[in-house]
Amino acid sequence: MSLLRLQGITKTFPGVRALDNVSFDVEAGEIHSLVGENGAGKSTLMKVLGGSYIPDSGSIELEGEALPFGSPLAIQKRGVQIIHQELALVPELTAAENIFLGREKGGVFLDRRMMVREAQSLLDELGAGVSARTRAVRLSVPQQQMVEIARALGAASKVLVLDEPTSTLPGPDVERLLEMVRQLRGRGLGIVYISHRFDEVFAISDRITVLRDGRHVQTTPMADVDRGRLIRAMVGRDLEEEFPPREATPGATVLAASGLLGGVDLTVRAGEIVGLAGLVGSGRTETGLALFGAIASEGEIRIDGARVRSKRPTDALRAGIAYITEDRKAAGIFPWLDVGANITISTLAEFSRMGLLSPGRERAAAQEAAGHFDVRSAGLRQRAGTLSGGNQQKLLLARFLLAPRKLLILDEPTRGIDVGAKAEIYRLMNRLTSDGLAILMISSELEELLGMADRIVVMREGKAVGEVERAMATQEKIMELAT
Amino acid sequence: MNTRKVMRFVAEYGIFVALAGLFCFLSITQSDIFLTERNLTNVLRQNSYTVILAAGMTLVILTAGIDLSVGAVVALSGVLCADMLVKGYGIAGGLAAGVGLGALAGLVTGLFVTRVKIPPFVATLAMMLVVRGAAMKYTDARTIAIPADVSDSFARLSTGITPVLIMSGVVLATWIVLTRTAFGRHVYAVGGNPEAARLAGIRVRRVLVCVYAACGLLAGLAGVIVASRIGSGYPNAGELYELDAIAATVVGGTSLFGGRGSIWGTLAGAFFIGILNNGLNLYEVHAYDQMILKGVVLLAATSLDLWRSRDS
Repeated sequence: MSLLRLQGITKTFPGVRALDNVSFDVEAGEIHSLVGENGAGKSTLMKVLGGSYIPDSGSIELEGEALPFGSPLAIQKRGVQIIHQELALVPELTAAENIFLGREKGGVFLDRRMMVREAQSLLDELGAGVSARTRAVRLSVPQQQMVEIARALGAASKVLVLDEPTSTLPGPDVERLLEMVRQLRGRGLGIVYISHRFDEVFAISDRITVLRDGRHVQTTPMADVDRGRLIRAMVGRDLEEEFPPREATPGATVLAASGLLGGVDLTVRAGEIVGLAGLVGSGRTETGLALFGAIASEGEIRIDGARVRSKRPTDALRAGIAYITEDRKAAGIFPWLDVGANITISTLAEFSRMGLLSPGRERAAAQEAAGHFDVRSAGLRQRAGTLSGGNQQKLLLARFLLAPRKLLILDEPTRGIDVGAKAEIYRLMNRLTSDGLAILMISSELEELLGMADRIVVMREGKAVGEVERAMATQEKIMELAT
Repeated sequence: MNTRKVMRFVAEYGIFVALAGLFCFLSITQSDIFLTERNLTNVLRQNSYTVILAAGMTLVILTAGIDLSVGAVVALSGVLCADMLVKGYGIAGGLAAGVGLGALAGLVTGLFVTRVKIPPFVATLAMMLVVRGAAMKYTDARTIAIPADVSDSFARLSTGITPVLIMSGVVLATWIVLTRTAFGRHVYAVGGNPEAARLAGIRVRRVLVCVYAACGLLAGLAGVIVASRIGSGYPNAGELYELDAIAATVVGGTSLFGGRGSIWGTLAGAFFIGILNNGLNLYEVHAYDQMILKGVVLLAATSLDLWRSRDS
């Protein structure tokens, strides 16, 4: 008998069947991975399990006993814990207080000492390097993630669900987390693991289930899994390759930056993709933001040889520098504006005559850009907040490349984007460089850097510490420089 | 699922349906009084100040801000305008002084909000105290009568359909700014996602300062019209007007979280509340009950906004 069994779950939203008769189970002492493209229904299924969504039909059983729908508390009390993608710590509480939130120890008065002690031992086991007395607001994003994981570990007694737990974690922490998860399996917990990163999924799983378009496609024991077939099952079609072939013929130097943030020298040539590698906190994103004028920095930036003084993004855009954020939701998309308005927002002056916008010209330009970058929507009037991650990314490309640019800075261009859409983004990058654009790609995915960058600059502790040519680049070499 | 669709429709267009429904109801049940030209003109005129203030408030709330100082600005600009008339600067001088003062007050608020980063609620609360206090001090808490030589022509600003025409002009101008200019689009963008706006190359602080200045300017304009209406500069004028403006904006569907709303919604919101008042008066409902009912309407509108923000 399975430890946890979801049977025939169907869930519809207006206009979409998010889950169609999906069944899924976990044994005690098993790691069962759930993979699929964005929108395949993984998170929806886990939200049904967690009680956030009430399904139209189906059932959930834990140890043969039916669990109620729509009751997060009842499910947690039975020993099922879910770590969601989004962080949900209370910023002003300490790590220990967060870990014991909702299940505080003690009688009328809290037993703080015990809670701190237990929290600390959980955090140490994870190797989080976090003091249980630190307030959450003072922690870095990976540290917060660790606290979140410690919270779930402390409360899970039977089933633990991890939904993309490593998307913000640097390499060594990922290793520790996976080790921790294996230990929990050893203690007899059933574990559901959701991730976009295949190497993790392959390293850890006992079984892998593929969902596609809200349907169950296959459940395969790890021994029988083949990478190519798995990708095909996920996207429902053949992908030639994860990374399209790339032939770069770099031209003249476009960007020459020196002394940025007190220690970063960079050049990017026309038609070239330069990768910016490094661990979380090594200053990759800051470098991108400094080039874009979004944070203050000393140093000198030259575009086509001419000095650029950008005090703010407006100046950088005018000089031909565009920056596309790693956090589309928080810093990229205007969720309540429609697709068209999202595309034209940075170049409205071009569609104005005597201060008045010309809706016809604006729409036409947006339409053309949306087509050029293959933004798929139900028309320009669709709200941007309702697009998938891949389409939001293409929308941002359309926005920033509506006017001619020289340098495009892409910060984690495929974070949270599914396999099919990733390949599309890569093909677009190839097309852009063949048109002579210079691209600086910030990424924490080594495979992506190796697959797409012509040259990789590695950062450590706020400084550029080395550079590797594409032909010479290996994961080991980059990690060696980065750590 | 269908209730969801209905809710969405209500959240999007509910205020227009409610306004039309209320109008029809009163037209049928109170046709002999409600539908008279006199009553309708009165309703339009009485609510024109609220609409003018609410147009500015809509800009501010679209950026996820709020302006509590507009009522006080109405008083000070009215007082200043009256004093200019007393000192013989003429109607144009009085109008310029009143409107200019409002814009200046808004500009200062905007600078505090963007440069010192004081939350709009506190910054405009402080501005409300400063401006109201200044109006009292300026007049020694007395009213400044409009001098006889200009009183007739000055009164024309607030009689007949003049205030309604001014209101219409303000609404149209706001509509054009919001839908047909880069600035208007930037207002929505800054309210919907300030960090994204900054990274899209929008001068966020400049947009915010302009929005507060515009709101102050419109409050100054309303102040001059109010002074014309009561025939004097009165330091207690405009009390609680800020609440009417906020209520009209929120009932009209503009989200307090910013980034979502329209001037037509605000217009409908203002007239929904105005006609509701009128109808309740016709039914001789007690003033206290009217207040309670208005509070309930405001709660309902805000609940809908919250529900919509969570939806999707």
